[in-house]
Amino acid sequence: MLEKLVNGFELFLFRNRTWVVGIFALLTLFLGYQASQLKMDAAFIKNIPLNHSYMQTYLKHQKDFGGANSIMVAVEDTSGNIFNANYFDTLKNVHDQLFFIPGVERSQVKSIFSPSTRFTEVVEDGFAGGPVIPADFSTTQTGLDTVRDNIEKAGIVGRLIANDYSAAMVSAQLMDFDPQTGKPLDTIAFAAQLENELRGKFETDKVKIHIIGFAKMAGDVADGAKGVLLFFLIAILITAVMVYLFSKSIILTVLPLVCSLMAVVWQLGLLTVIGFGLDPMSILVPFLVFAIGVSHGVQMINAVRRRVMDGQTTKAAAASAFRNLLVPGGVALLSDTVGFITLLSIDIGIIRELAISASLGVGVIIFTNLILLPLVISFTELKAVKHAQPTAEEVRAEAIWRFLAKFATPKYAIVVIVATIALYFVGLQQANQMKIGDLQGGAPALHQDSRYNLDTFFITDHFSITTDVMAVIVEASPEACTYHDMLIQIDEFEWLVRNTPGIESTVSLASVAKKVNAGFNEGNPKWEVLPRTTASLVQAIGQIPTTSGLLNGDCSVMPVYLFMKDHKAETIETVVAKVKAVAAKMDNEQLQFKLASGPVGVMAATNEAVAAAQLPMMLYVYGAVFVLCLISFKSFKATVAVIIPLYVVSTLAQALMTQLDIGLAVSTLPVIALGVGIGVDYGIYILSTMSSKLSNGMPVQQAYYEALVERGSAVIFTGLTLAIGVSTWFFSALKFQMDMGILLTFMFVVNMLGAIIILPALAAVFWRQPK
Amino acid sequence: MSFRILHCVAALSISCLFISPSFSATSEAPSSQIQPLAISSLILDIADTGQRLVAVGERGHVLVYDGNWQQVTTPTSVQLTKVFFINETLGWAVGHDATILHTQDGGQTWQLQMQSREIEKPFLDILFLNEREGMAIGAYGLFYRTNDGGANWSAEFHEELLVEEDVSYLAELKGSDEAAYLNERASLLPHFNRIIALKDGRLVLVGELGLVAASNDKGITFTRTGFDYDGSMFNAIEMQDAVYVMGLRGNIFKADLSLSQWHEIEMPVQSSINGVMAMSDETLYLVGNAGVVIQLNSDDTSSIVTRRQGENLVSIAKDNQGNMWLSGSQGLFILKP
Repeated sequence: MLEKLVNGFELFLFRNRTWVVGIFALLTLFLGYQASQLKMDAAFIKNIPLNHSYMQTYLKHQKDFGGANSIMVAVEDTSGNIFNANYFDTLKNVHDQLFFIPGVERSQVKSIFSPSTRFTEVVEDGFAGGPVIPADFSTTQTGLDTVRDNIEKAGIVGRLIANDYSAAMVSAQLMDFDPQTGKPLDTIAFAAQLENELRGKFETDKVKIHIIGFAKMAGDVADGAKGVLLFFLIAILITAVMVYLFSKSIILTVLPLVCSLMAVVWQLGLLTVIGFGLDPMSILVPFLVFAIGVSHGVQMINAVRRRVMDGQTTKAAAASAFRNLLVPGGVALLSDTVGFITLLSIDIGIIRELAISASLGVGVIIFTNLILLPLVISFTELKAVKHAQPTAEEVRAEAIWRFLAKFATPKYAIVVIVATIALYFVGLQQANQMKIGDLQGGAPALHQDSRYNLDTFFITDHFSITTDVMAVIVEASPEACTYHDMLIQIDEFEWLVRNTPGIESTVSLASVAKKVNAGFNEGNPKWEVLPRTTASLVQAIGQIPTTSGLLNGDCSVMPVYLFMKDHKAETIETVVAKVKAVAAKMDNEQLQFKLASGPVGVMAATNEAVAAAQLPMMLYVYGAVFVLCLISFKSFKATVAVIIPLYVVSTLAQALMTQLDIGLAVSTLPVIALGVGIGVDYGIYILSTMSSKLSNGMPVQQAYYEALVERGSAVIFTGLTLAIGVSTWFFSALKFQMDMGILLTFMFVVNMLGAIIILPALAAVFWRQPK
Repeated sequence: MSFRILHCVAALSISCLFISPSFSATSEAPSSQIQPLAISSLILDIADTGQRLVAVGERGHVLVYDGNWQQVTTPTSVQLTKVFFINETLGWAVGHDATILHTQDGGQTWQLQMQSREIEKPFLDILFLNEREGMAIGAYGLFYRTNDGGANWSAEFHEELLVEEDVSYLAELKGSDEAAYLNERASLLPHFNRIIALKDGRLVLVGELGLVAASNDKGITFTRTGFDYDGSMFNAIEMQDAVYVMGLRGNIFKADLSLSQWHEIEMPVQSSINGVMAMSDETLYLVGNAGVVIQLNSDDTSSIVTRRQGENLVSIAKDNQGNMWLSGSQGLFILKP
């Protein structure tokens, strides 16, 4: 029935081929225009697992505490001493400029120039105090000396002023929505503004500007992602050379490349049509689409060329190739698509976007490379170069196929299978040690020596602050902070959690209230306690404004901030486990200690979501591949023979991650699904040729040999093309693209090897000849 | 308005005074917890037992030093402000919630001798004249005495240290409203910050609002000395026939043993001085807020030894290897020479 349908389809398409090609051309024009409108897009919210319980807590209190989307600008004086007129002028300008950049929450811009930065000191008859920068401030030596004294009294060294007085900090919270347009904040444009209006305007020989924060990082990632264009050109070039070596024909080189590029254009255009932008994370998709397109294109030109050599006209050969490849090619591409769609099950926006854009891209290859390509080829006139004698190359190829075919004999099959099992268990043992999350310091998306990470290291080196902050949200009833009973619990919680390896320091309303209370008692450290009487307690709490982020308006919510030494997965896990254990003991009707906010809170949730998604994702991918294979082969044995090598390779890829210190993260999680979805193609192409022969009773070795002669070179070629396309990422400015590149290259090459070595061995066992 | 008045207001809600020595070693007060960071938590005093150092601090923390610091458990989690040893084995520590702890094994194990949440005042110092007679002093003139090594503690009210107008105010109140009288009495005296015994047996008591008083009768009665500075004094020490008192904003005064003429010593800092130790017969080391360590010589010259940014220093002590230990908001550490 299926055959009839395909034949009918072929007749229709090839009769109306001019029309069909015309329609494709028009569609390409339309989608090309759409693609040109595509924007880079990196929203903070897309990176987090919104339904995770931590993120629910985060979102619930985001309005009060700003959450995790902040920006820090450290202004450094290269002389090592900030107390000079030029520096203070610049710092003031940076503060003002940041204040006016749209998207900045103006009430939360903090530096020594903000009026809320005050000092207090104890004098004989009480307190004296004022803003750190006095109203009559001038950049004279006296003025600077006063500020210097005030800075020390205000206790802001380490936070707003570098520990060695070589820099000062301006920090701000970002809004999720642009107040002028009401649209979500354009993070990348915002980052560009930071770059131009802060660093561009104010960085000189004497003053250096260090900027960190999610928005800046997203901007730098987007910039790095643009460098990918070059890699794309390189990938196209190498692929073109390879296709030419394979086809020995200019026209057969150009056509599959053009069709594959068309698929890329369609994919990008469709993104705009459905209202998506291109996230730096999904920038790998065009590569994949191109590479997958080329590999299917090569199968196509290979099929056409063989038929032309056999004496058919180009048109008849193209039609026949179309007929032959539509089903296996379609199934292979469909399984790719399904593989990607399974990623939708993961509750992280950018992974879902990746899933959608990748499935779109692979879906369109069915049209461009399985339908359009043979149609276009049919317009050409290929020369039949049939040598009477096989060329040296053909002889060499045949020798290779003969050698590979041995894997389909029981003797070699056993060796291969034993070796595979051994490899699997070694791999499994390594795979089990795979780490979750980001393993490096700084921004994991970027290399350690990127400007952003150098800025991060500057700030963490010179200030006592860190971006690796997790906030535990304490939820209580309104006015809870006026009760000693409540605050003492928060104090106890803070202290117990503080005693966890990986936590450098902590702060909460309770610990600050103790310091304020000492302040009210002549700065005597012996009064650094929470007063038992409500009146004294309120007096202390009253000094702490809600802008401190330590309490909300009615002090029913009081975060405990945990400053961590890094954000490595192990550190996060240790701290999260401790918080959970202490919270479990201390939670009661009045107070609940809830995870989590702050950048590390988000990471903790992401790590957990990624770890939790891994197994279901694998199950879905393999489930989908299994069902599709079952449908196309109608054979359980064939299906298992395709899936086992894939599974072994997935495990080995995880082992590789352990070996290379690549953590399972948002960027690497999809790789295995992609690898499996695409890796299954090889097996499908080879086994689809074999299976009809096998069911006709042909011995496995012969069937495999014939499959190799027909498709072997295309399969090996495909593996190499795909691998080359993604291996260029190894040189990416983005660390995560490098990781993805390494893993995908591995998956593509090793899956190919699995299909030509392990698969025949399994076939030899499954279809054993009755003796 | 000064903080002083605010505290009086706060104290009005207290309805107790003269808590009898019978107190409840309350079940509501949990014991201290052993935690790895206790050594870097707020440590308020270090005492030398002659054999080892014993340090006390926030959350009921007590640490014992025998070559390295080891935290020991105590039956309280309130902040401990001061620790005192009369010999190598017998010692007392005091703290908030009018807490007094006692050890009989050089600081390894501690028993509660007194604790009262209701008093709501901290003890700030403790002094024993011998194994039996001792006194614990604290905020708002808190004063408890024992004559049996701490088995029983009884309150004393040092009316003689009230300022004149308060005396008449109290007398007036006593006639009209007994409850209000008791309330007021509980908060009119200045904080008693430190009490030391001079070589000749006299006691010197220093405290809030320029309190510097002496006693010839083991602290039964005190007489204010001719000290006329209004700021609080946090510590006192005797060296070479002179008595030094020190406190708020780097103020330090010196008098001869008559204690009648105090003169101010010029200091290189304006930070409050919390702790003091005699380095030799001629040198004092002072520690205080803003991380200052100051050397003060008997000829009244002084110099900054070090300044540890962002922390307050409270106490200084020497171990038997000659290391100088500092304590404060960042815990315990050795003063690098």
